Amino acid sequence: MSTTLLQPPTTASPRTTITLSQQATHFFAAQRTWLTTLPYPLNRLLPTESQEKWLAYENVFLACLRTGDNDAAYTALQALTARFGNDNERVMVLGGLYQEATASSQAELEEVMRSYDEILKEDPTVFALRKRRAALLKSVGKPTEAIGDLIKMLDASPTDAEAWAELADLYLGQGLYEQAVYCLEEVLLVMANAWNMHARLGEVLFLSAGKMEAGSGDKLKTLSESMRRFCRSIELCDDYLRGYYGLKITTDRLLEVLDGVKQKPQVASTSDPVTGDLAPPSLAAVKKLSQLATAKLAEIVRRGSAGEKGWDGYNEAELGAARELLDRDTQKIQR
Amino acid sequence: MAAAAIIVNALGVVFLAHAVYSAYEHSLLPSSTATPPSGSALSRSLKPNVNLPIDITLETLFSALLLCVGVVLSSPGLKPIQWNVWAGRLEKSKEAREITEVGVGGGNPYAGLEERAGFLDIRGKRKEFADWIKKDARSEKS
Repeated sequence: MSTTLLQPPTTASPRTTITLSQQATHFFAAQRTWLTTLPYPLNRLLPTESQEKWLAYENVFLACLRTGDNDAAYTALQALTARFGNDNERVMVLGGLYQEATASSQAELEEVMRSYDEILKEDPTVFALRKRRAALLKSVGKPTEAIGDLIKMLDASPTDAEAWAELADLYLGQGLYEQAVYCLEEVLLVMANAWNMHARLGEVLFLSAGKMEAGSGDKLKTLSESMRRFCRSIELCDDYLRGYYGLKITTDRLLEVLDGVKQKPQVASTSDPVTGDLAPPSLAAVKKLSQLATAKLAEIVRRGSAGEKGWDGYNEAELGAARELLDRDTQKIQR
Repeated sequence: MAAAAIIVNALGVVFLAHAVYSAYEHSLLPSSTATPPSGSALSRSLKPNVNLPIDITLETLFSALLLCVGVVLSSPGLKPIQWNVWAGRLEKSKEAREITEVGVGGGNPYAGLEERAGFLDIRGKRKEFADWIKKDARSEKS
């Protein structure tokens, strides 16, 4: 079985998704061997299933749904339902996905929502379906209701990192940076080694620092916090392009802010005695970090775009963005 | 490196086999047991009075050494045991991300926190895909 079938198609590029969905008919035909058509006691004796089989079915289902091939998606869904039954949580969610995707009008979407409510009234512990409900609310443009839903869900299960991350995203969409930061910190409490979430938190902090008024102590504090988050993501993952990119832009911004602060005499040199926050970093340290980030970014861009062995896994768009950032920097120096 | 390891291993096996065979042949010689040991058969088997020539002993030791070196050389490369090295390899190398079977490989294990398959916005994805198809068709036409 090819490995593309095992890759979840939700984030794959449109081109891989379309090849996957074009393979769907072949895939179904290949799965229907004479082994599976044997009568009852015999088909239980022979190995007709593998670990990959149902994962592949699910991936084909999602790919077909994404490309708009509803018939093939329905075939896959039927196979899954026949195997695992209607009351299986995962199958319920997939069925819901199918109905959402094929709903053509607002009324049909409301019908789907009602069916979710009905299932949840019977059994409110189907978390996968509660997530689906929140996602549908977000999809139809009711983010505040989705937030309320998620908060209720997280009250019941506060260790669900995925839901915390989604809640952070929803808050961010509403422009509520403080709440988004809180949610991302909750994610990191559950999964402390997730280097991409450290970088994400750094990004959100950087965004919120951009909204603060210049010269305020808050801005300096938020920026240095953001820089520290990026540093942590790099500590957890060598040559992390996103982390170095973030480190570079935060240190550059921080250097500007620190320059502004230096003219005024009051610079807090020790940690805050009340809140226990760390003091803002020294100018020399920030300069050093900025130089390190520039050097590392240049190395990653050079080796990544040359496609050296072991360096070919970077995203093209991310490499391009890093190159642009470096180019902007050199132009500034030339001027 | 792999070819060298195979040659070393093969040489080691040949030398070991030769040493074992020589020792066996030597034990068959009537002169190899210098003095017929006294006592019962049991005490003789517990204390075999064999005086192997020094070259056979040396050959055995040499072949064992060759095999040790060969096995170490032919072992696969070490997997990273430091978190940051392991994570860095997942980020920068396509090869490290390859899915070989269910639950093995597959890149950043925390990517799910940003993709969030449980909250998949299927209607948005479908629209995005339809737009991509339209754009693709237009670029092919022009």
